[in-house]
Amino acid sequence: MNKILIIDDDEELCELVSEYLTVEGFEVAAVNDGESGLEAADSGEYDLAILDVMLPKMNGFEVLRHLRQRSKLPVMMLTARGDDMERIVGLEIGADDYLPKPFNPRELVARLRAILRRVGDGTERDGSEPIQVDDVELNPASRLATVGGEDLALTSVEFDLLNALLKSAGTIVRKEDLSEEVLGRKLSPFDRSLDMHISNLRKKLGTRDDGTDRIKTIRSVGYIYTKV
Amino acid sequence: MNLFLKIFLWFLTAIALMIGVVIFLNWSVQTEPVVSRWQNSVKNQMNVFAATATQIYDAQGEQGLREFLARIDTADTVGQVDVVNQDGQNWVSDGIDLRQYQALIDSTFLTGQVQIEQNSPDSALAAMTFDTKDPNGAGRAQHALIVRWERPKPTPMFGESRLRYLRYFGLLLTALLVCYLLALYLSSPIGKIRAATQKLAAGDLSSRVADELGNRHDELGALATDFDLMAERIESLITSQKRLSRDISHELRSPLARLGVALEIAKQKSRDDTTQLLDRIETESARLNEMISRLLMLSRLESGSQDIEKQDVDLKALVEDVAEDADFEAQAKGKSVRFSGAEKCRVTGNESLLRSAVENVLRNAVRYTAEGTTVDVSLATNNGTATIKVKDHGGGLPDDELKNVFRPFYRVGEARERATGGIGLGLSIAERAIHAHNGKIEAKNVDHGLLVEIDLNCSNGSREET
Repeated sequence: MNKILIIDDDEELCELVSEYLTVEGFEVAAVNDGESGLEAADSGEYDLAILDVMLPKMNGFEVLRHLRQRSKLPVMMLTARGDDMERIVGLEIGADDYLPKPFNPRELVARLRAILRRVGDGTERDGSEPIQVDDVELNPASRLATVGGEDLALTSVEFDLLNALLKSAGTIVRKEDLSEEVLGRKLSPFDRSLDMHISNLRKKLGTRDDGTDRIKTIRSVGYIYTKV
Repeated sequence: MNLFLKIFLWFLTAIALMIGVVIFLNWSVQTEPVVSRWQNSVKNQMNVFAATATQIYDAQGEQGLREFLARIDTADTVGQVDVVNQDGQNWVSDGIDLRQYQALIDSTFLTGQVQIEQNSPDSALAAMTFDTKDPNGAGRAQHALIVRWERPKPTPMFGESRLRYLRYFGLLLTALLVCYLLALYLSSPIGKIRAATQKLAAGDLSSRVADELGNRHDELGALATDFDLMAERIESLITSQKRLSRDISHELRSPLARLGVALEIAKQKSRDDTTQLLDRIETESARLNEMISRLLMLSRLESGSQDIEKQDVDLKALVEDVAEDADFEAQAKGKSVRFSGAEKCRVTGNESLLRSAVENVLRNAVRYTAEGTTVDVSLATNNGTATIKVKDHGGGLPDDELKNVFRPFYRVGEARERATGGIGLGLSIAERAIHAHNGKIEAKNVDHGLLVEIDLNCSNGSREET
């Protein structure tokens, strides 16, 4: 059974979500401020954390920043709806996914499952072969990716995106497939999260020495990881 | 022309005028007395010359007189010297054409006084009688001494030495410097106040100016202080408004979030006959939520452009993307969206704002277009302006309602709006977002449909293929 940590200052919401997630088969604990949230997340007891941005004592971004210095615990950010900055900052710091608040609990569960499945994949497929394309190396077993020998600090979504693109390097990967394989949900209109993850991934990978992008956008179809 | 230049030139003109007046006065004041003084001295000298001529002729004869006349002639102020006998014969001639001055000669013989005739601006002829022993007999003969006097020139204001150019230059330089400093003194605080105003308008609410102006106690100093007061007030208003919208966002959404989760739990436990009602509650709460987000977005857009981060945006890709998504949505309702006329165009702006503007206009069109029809979207560029046209087939609007469609919560027909599920904020958001990019948005009726036109300025940045 997966253990979920909820870090949110709204106690009543925590109770309700706990009840809902328990029915859905998760084990849930909740804390109500940033400091104790970071402490609990550091304890190593949990498989995933749901993190609100607005928190007393230490806000969600700071909790995430501290947490990412030592742990790869998957994190689902809850952001204020319509606030792009929060979303972008959250993903840049290393959230695995985000959900605008108020959220639909069914969607929350679907996304939690997608994240957990992804992380689970890595440990199950211990034998899966490392992939190397030009100077980028990716090891699904250790979930480590390097470019030119340097470690890329990728979030689990970014790692899986890169994995999916590298597996079919040189050919187009459709957006629909990426969304289902990596985010665990169907691509819906007006949903830009895939583009945002790709854009973060691009930033972290950097351009090739000759200045060209490693990942190219094929408009209205998908993305392609180009080979030299 | 800017204020600095205006003040500078005005003062320069004033100073030039003043110098002109001074020079004129100097000239006219010098001229009158000089002329009369000159005439007096000419009179005196003529008397002396005449007396001397008599004595010299009597003592030394004609040779002495000629030497004496030649000596007079060497003076700077004397042009020519002639002597005329009473019978009109020229005795000693230096070249004066006497026939022209017969009247002068006659009157001097008649009166025995010095006569002066100013025959040209620069010189005058003076005549005086003197008598000598008659060379042809006994007794005394009368002669007239005629002298052309050069008129003395008024001294130029700056003298006649070579140094005068330096003096001219010094005067010019001083005038320029004084004008420059004066213009600077008057216009620089206005420039500073203007810079501060522009900074404030561009969104820097901490912009203040009084300190920069220093200790000025005039109207400009007061204006700067007033500006600071105003900026202070605006800053506190906007800050509190921002805080308020954040608080609203948080406070209204927390119960909505709880409501959503509770609703889902209720659904898990519900019997079939209540599910329909619960779904209804879900729809309504989603609508409420949508409304809050849009209101917040609207208020954020209205509070100014300071929060908008701008970067290079590929407008073609953006419109195409949105059109595609809208088409996907429209297909479900038996409508469609067609994108045409793609011209490459990049704009400098906030991608998500531009996206939401286009999306709102397009979704609005999809909502109102008749079933089975197509919404046409096009993008064209002309002279650095990109025009996005969105045309539906929904019958259009009454002409007098057109200008109202961008007003928040504006509804053309209550019933129609409800049935189509809008909340009346989409076009307002689109308008504010486009205005924040210095663009234009307009709605018109075009053959049984509404045409919304968005104009944006293209950036002349890179146009390469991406």
